[in-house]
Amino acid sequence: MSRRPPRGEYIETDTGNKVARKATLVGTQNIMLGGKTVIQPEVMIRGDLIRSIQSSSSSASGAAPNNTAVSIGRYCFLSRGCCLRPPGRLYKGAFTYMPLRMGDHVFVGPGSVVQAASIGSHVHIGARVAVGEFAIIKDYVRVLDGTVIPPNMVIPSFSIVAGQPARLIGEVPEGGHEAFELRDLYKTVGNNPQPAPS
Amino acid sequence: MAAFVPYTYFQCPCSDSSTLAQSSGSNSPSSAHPDPDDGGIDDDSDRAFDPRAPRSNYSLYPLEYLLYCEDCHQIRCPRCVAEEIVTYYCPNCLFEVPSSNLKSEGNRCTRSCFQCPICIGPLAVTSIETKPDPNLLAAPDSASHSGPYALTCSYCNWTSTEVGIKFEKPNSIHAQLAKLRNGGTSRLTAKERKERRKDPAYTSQRAAAGSERESSDWQEDLDLETQFANLKLFYQSQLADPNSADHGLSSLGDLGFSSPSSLSRIMSIYTGGSLHDKKAKSRVGAMREALESDEGLQLADLDESAAISRLRQEGYDGTASTEQLLEQPPNLGEEHLHGRARFTAELRPIPYLLRTKRSKRCPVCRHIISKPEAKMQTTRFRIRLVAGSYIPSIAIRPLSLSGAGGSFSSSSTTTVPGAPLEPLKPAHFLLTFKNPIFETVKVTLGTPARTPGRFASKVTVLCPVFEIGANTDVWDEALKDSSGSDRDGRRRRGKGDEGGGGGSGGGGLTNQIEVGKIWERGRNWVSIVVEVMPASLHLREDEGDLPLREEEDVLEIPMFVRVEWEADVGGDEVGSAAHGRDSKEAREKRELAYWCVLGLGKIRRS
Ligand SMILES: [Zn+2]
Ligand SMILES: [Zn+2]
Ligand SMILES: [Zn+2]
Ligand SMILES: [Zn+2]
Repeated sequence: MSRRPPRGEYIETDTGNKVARKATLVGTQNIMLGGKTVIQPEVMIRGDLIRSIQSSSSSASGAAPNNTAVSIGRYCFLSRGCCLRPPGRLYKGAFTYMPLRMGDHVFVGPGSVVQAASIGSHVHIGARVAVGEFAIIKDYVRVLDGTVIPPNMVIPSFSIVAGQPARLIGEVPEGGHEAFELRDLYKTVGNNPQPAPS
Repeated sequence: MAAFVPYTYFQCPCSDSSTLAQSSGSNSPSSAHPDPDDGGIDDDSDRAFDPRAPRSNYSLYPLEYLLYCEDCHQIRCPRCVAEEIVTYYCPNCLFEVPSSNLKSEGNRCTRSCFQCPICIGPLAVTSIETKPDPNLLAAPDSASHSGPYALTCSYCNWTSTEVGIKFEKPNSIHAQLAKLRNGGTSRLTAKERKERRKDPAYTSQRAAAGSERESSDWQEDLDLETQFANLKLFYQSQLADPNSADHGLSSLGDLGFSSPSSLSRIMSIYTGGSLHDKKAKSRVGAMREALESDEGLQLADLDESAAISRLRQEGYDGTASTEQLLEQPPNLGEEHLHGRARFTAELRPIPYLLRTKRSKRCPVCRHIISKPEAKMQTTRFRIRLVAGSYIPSIAIRPLSLSGAGGSFSSSSTTTVPGAPLEPLKPAHFLLTFKNPIFETVKVTLGTPARTPGRFASKVTVLCPVFEIGANTDVWDEALKDSSGSDRDGRRRRGKGDEGGGGGSGGGGLTNQIEVGKIWERGRNWVSIVVEVMPASLHLREDEGDLPLREEEDVLEIPMFVRVEWEADVGGDEVGSAAHGRDSKEAREKRELAYWCVLGLGKIRRS
């Protein structure tokens, strides 16, 4: 079904990724997509901001340098106009970027900028959110619209955060885990979108 | 104004003391209502539910916040469950804290995790020596530098040097901070305090200070911790001293403030029983109180002139807000609080409060209904009985007229969701009930014809009784998904089997609004239509009408939901027991009934 000549708004890859033609992916060779991920128009992913200093373990072992700048799991949803940008800092006297890692079922709302070091799985980031450099967001976290997460902030699992700067405003209830699933949302976009289930 | 999002809240039975007592008496709800067929709503309608009653605030929850007890067959809410702490951990460094440490070290992280006293952003340990490069906003790599160090806020750029606090080492900041007062002076330990007293320079200074004022007024400034230690020592010696008894008002007996037994009782509250002295119990009588600073006496310093002049200088902006003061931990290194004005410049870094993982028990039968894995790193649960796996969810969507002849289509194409409702103009909403359990359920709905409150809107549920199919195996759904067609395996609809289905296919829908008919049906869900006639919010203030209260313009429908199904006898695991469906012999009727509130929309103000 994806064998048709690509004409639609999205490019659908073999692993089920739906990447909008109007998305800007810089340094695509350094961007890893786990599959079934949706990248909407006007999204920017800065795969060009790679680590300029290899970590001591990999350089010592002589392994091929790992240039992954942004890695994204399965069933992630990057909304229109959001930006994923690897964080950077001084390391042993020199400036280097570090990879941005993202788990499965991560929703990034429209207009949000993410510079986290890592984002777990089942994370919902609302619209116009700024995730500061080297922030760590664990699993099952909900970030409400307009939140500013300061650099280096750690947000443990089952947190609901909001505000500028972000503060804990609640906990994800036991019955709220399933709401993070993005399988259904995945089906609603692409070249053959299916309506949202009732 | 943000667009209105329709909502459904469910009522927990704990808000009604009579239902709580009832459910404890009979474990099966079906036994409480032996004949569910005789008009389920009627026997409950005499206590119709008003969602706007002040009490209701405390019992209405979105479905995901509710748990379910399989033994009581009842909904349980955050208000009524009994919580037990499983794990303590720091939300910043994510280290687990053994509960034994909590008694000795308190409920805050004792590593180097701090929040900004100004903005509560996280504080990072940074080296002071290296001039911060204005071009680099990134956190400096502290490993390559040497001290001194400061705590710096990555959000508002506050730094602990502003209150004169620097650290020698980049680690164990908590321990270092405990010894530092604002301004950088170190707090004296008891030993240092004793040594200082021996110092001749200090003694002469003390004498000079004493001669200036009346000598008896002179006292040493004690911080809270030292004062407590001195007092504790003093009372301990009083308790041990057999001669301390019997001078004073012994008529008060054991109730007196200065009686040894009440003192030891109070002290044991604060010191964990270390002062509990068996001998003291037998003695009745008063002890003398502390008379000097060595014994823990601290006179109030009522001279506030310094604070006033500072307030003149710095103004309101220099004072700490209530929120900032509330975030401040009790600081043991602090001086006494009497007459102390609080300025932002006096605030100290806030060690992170620990967070917890908690298990939850049913308040009635004490069974555990939610239990997370103890390990901090895992998000799994050993037990997680959420109401959403037992009772049907209710989704609300507006419907709007799309042409003549009573033909309707989903609003997703025609109206803006969350648009205000026109007063006195009928509006239609689609309620979709989704059945989570593996049995077919019969749903009976009841609503008052008019909503309670000052502005009574008319409500008609077009199809108040219907059945919803079982939530068959998830693999059926997965297989259907992969085949790419026949989403949700629709079987039949109320009307119009062609087309993309009500509300979801968009366009060309021919569903009719008809009393007694389901709008649309799927494998384990049913959509029905509710018609409302929103009230006019017109107020006649000349006739003494009070102005519109907050949220009074929201059209809320109280709805009584009764769900009935047949389950295997003894099969308590309604939500998970897919097996044994064909063994017909041991089936029993089950029933669950509860109130909910549907928030449909805001009525336009006239
Ligand atoms: Zn309750
Ligand atoms: Zn910590
Ligand atoms: Zn700050
Ligand atoms: Zn129970």
